Amino acid sequence: MLETWNNLLGGFVTAGTPINLLWALAGCALGTAIGVLPGLGPAVTVAMLLPITGQVEATASMIFFAGIYYGAMYGGSTTSILLNTPGETGTMVTALEGFKMAKSGRAGAALATSAIGSFVAGSIATVLVTLFAPILAEFAVKLGPPEYFCLMLLAFTTVSAVLGQSTLRGITALFFGLALGLVGMDQITGQVRYTGGVIEFLDGVEVVLVAVGLFAVTEALYNALYEGRSEASLNKMNKAHMTGTEWKRSWPAWLRGTFIGFPFGTIPAGGSEIPTFLSYATERKLADPEFKKEFGTTGAIEGVAGPEAANNAAVTATLVPLLTLGIPTSVTAAILLSALQNYGINAGPQLFETSSALVWALIASLYIGNVMLLVLNLPMVGLWVKLLKIPKAPLYAGILIFATVGVYGMRQSSFDLFIMFGLALVGVVLRRFDFPTAPVIVGLILGPLAEAQFRNAMSIGEGSVAVFFQRPMSATLLAIVVLVLVTPRLLAWHRRS
Amino acid sequence: MNTTDSRDPPARADHSPGQLALGIAAVLLAAGLAYGAANIPSDAGYAGVGPDFLPWVVSAAMGLCGVLLIWEVRTGGFRNMPEPSGAARGDWHAMVWVSAGILGNAALITTIGFILSCAMCFTLAVRGLRISEGKPAGNAMQTVKDAVIGMLISAPTFWLFTKFLAVNLPGLTGTGWL
Repeated sequence: MLETWNNLLGGFVTAGTPINLLWALAGCALGTAIGVLPGLGPAVTVAMLLPITGQVEATASMIFFAGIYYGAMYGGSTTSILLNTPGETGTMVTALEGFKMAKSGRAGAALATSAIGSFVAGSIATVLVTLFAPILAEFAVKLGPPEYFCLMLLAFTTVSAVLGQSTLRGITALFFGLALGLVGMDQITGQVRYTGGVIEFLDGVEVVLVAVGLFAVTEALYNALYEGRSEASLNKMNKAHMTGTEWKRSWPAWLRGTFIGFPFGTIPAGGSEIPTFLSYATERKLADPEFKKEFGTTGAIEGVAGPEAANNAAVTATLVPLLTLGIPTSVTAAILLSALQNYGINAGPQLFETSSALVWALIASLYIGNVMLLVLNLPMVGLWVKLLKIPKAPLYAGILIFATVGVYGMRQSSFDLFIMFGLALVGVVLRRFDFPTAPVIVGLILGPLAEAQFRNAMSIGEGSVAVFFQRPMSATLLAIVVLVLVTPRLLAWHRRS
Repeated sequence: MNTTDSRDPPARADHSPGQLALGIAAVLLAAGLAYGAANIPSDAGYAGVGPDFLPWVVSAAMGLCGVLLIWEVRTGGFRNMPEPSGAARGDWHAMVWVSAGILGNAALITTIGFILSCAMCFTLAVRGLRISEGKPAGNAMQTVKDAVIGMLISAPTFWLFTKFLAVNLPGLTGTGWL
C-alpha cells in the first residue's frame, strides 16, 4: 500500500514537469477536438501520430497518447448530444437520450452531466487502476506462455464473436487481421513469410498503415461514395449547467455507471459497448416513475449520466490488462501497445518493474488529464462546438493530409501510401457489408504475439497440446472461451424451443 | 438522418451479388494463404509446430469462413444485416476524384515534396467530396482557392512534424521549408 503511494507520488513528480504537463494538455485538447469532429477516432489519431515515437521520449508520448484517448471520449459525447452521429461505439448510448434532451432545449444539462460524469467516473476508475494494477501485475508474473496464449484467445473470441451483428463476419474479420499479421519475418525463427519478394514487407504490415487505411481513408472514400447527401442537423447549444434536481438525478447514475463500466474494461470483452448498454438499461429500470416517461421522449438525464460514466470507467480500465498483461481490449489500447513496442518496451507484468517510472507517470497523468478535460469541456465547450461547423468536404480532404503524415512518416516509403489506398478500398467493402474492423486491428497486433506464446507453450509441453489442459489456469481460461462462444447460442436456442 | 425515402415500404437493395463476391474472395484468400504456407519450411524444433503452423490455421479458418459466407448467401443472404448507411448506389464520379487525389499523392510525394503533393491531394479530394454532396464542383477560381487552403493545411503540418517532431517527410527543396 505504502509502496503504491510512493510510486504514485513519484509518478506525479514525473508527470508534473512543465514539459509533460504540456504534452498532457496537448493530448487532451487534440483528443477533445478529434472526438468532436466526425471521421476521426482516438485509435486512428494515435496511429497517425506513431511516427513521433522516433523522436519524443517514451513517457512524454505515452502521456500525450493517453490524453488523446481520454479526450476523445469527452469530445465524442459532445457530438453525440448535439449532432446524433456518434463516432465511437461507446458514445452511441449517450446519443439515445442526450440527443433527445438537446432537442427539447436541455443541451446544456446533457453536456454538463456527461462532462462531470466522465470526470467522476474517470477519477474513480483511475483510483481503482492505481490500487489493482500492481496487485494484478504481481499475480501475472506467475503466468506462463500457455496462460498468455489462452488469455489472447479469449481476447480474440470476445472481440470478434461477441460484439457486432454476426459471429461469422466478426471471425472472418479477425482472420483477415491475423493473415495481415503473418506477413514479414516470423518472430521466433526469423523465417520470411508472405512477402512475395517485396522488400517493404519484410518488417511486416505496419499497424499505422492498416489503422489509417481502414479508418481514416475509408471514411473519406465512403463519404464520397455513399454519404454525400446524408445531412445531419445540429442542435442548439446553451450554457452547460445543471439544476439542483438534475444534480440529484445524475450522481447516483454516475456512480452506478462507474461500477458497471470498470469491470468490463478490465476483462478482454471488447471495450465499452456492453457496459454502456447495461448502464442504460439499469438507469431506465431504476428511474423514478415521474422521470421514467422522459426516456425516449424528451430525454432523461440519467440515460446520459450513467452510460457516460460507464464509458469512461471502461476506457480507463482497459489500461489494466494493457499494462499488466500486455493484452489490449480495445482498438486504441492495441495501438498504444504498438507504441510501446516502438520503444522496445514489452507491456506485461514486468512493466511495473522495468519501466516503473513510465507506468506511474502515465497513471498520474490520468488524474491530471481528467481535471484538464473537465476544464476543457465545461467552460470551454462552446469552443469545441464551433468545430462542428466545418463543412464535410474540406474536413475529410484535410484528414487525407494527416493520414499521409502518419503513413509516410512511419518509414518514409511512398509504397505504403499505395497500400494504404488498397486497404481503404477493403475498408469500404467491409463497412458496406457490415464486417467489424476492430477484430482486424486486434488480430494484426495480437496475432504475432499469440503465435509466439503458442509456440513457446508448445515447447514447454514438448510438442503436445496437453500443456493447455493440464495447467489449471489455462484450462480455466479455455473453458471460459468455450462458454463465451457457446452460451449465447444455447440461450438463443432455448428461447426458440 | 438519412435521405432514403420513408414513404415507400423499405425497398431493400439486392446485395447478394456483392455478398457472394465477398465469400468467394475469402475462399480465394484462403487458397492464396495455403499456397504461401506450402512454401514455408515446417522446421519445428521442440515445439512440434513450426513457422508454417499458423499460416495453415489461418488459411483453413479463412476457407471455412468463406464457405460459410457463401452458404449464408445461398440460404437468404448474410445474417442480421443492418441496411448499410448512406445512399443505395455509390457515387463513383466523386469516388474517382478522391481516389485520384490519394494515388496522385502517393505517386508524386517524393518528387514534388510533401507540401505541394498534399495540397494537390486536398484539391482533388475536396472536389470529389463536393460533387458527392451534389454541389457544383467549382470553376478555376474555386480550384485555386482549394489549392491555397490545401497549402495552408499542409505547410504548417510539414513544418510542425519535420521541425519539432523530427518526423522525416520529403521536401521539394533541401531547405526544409518547402
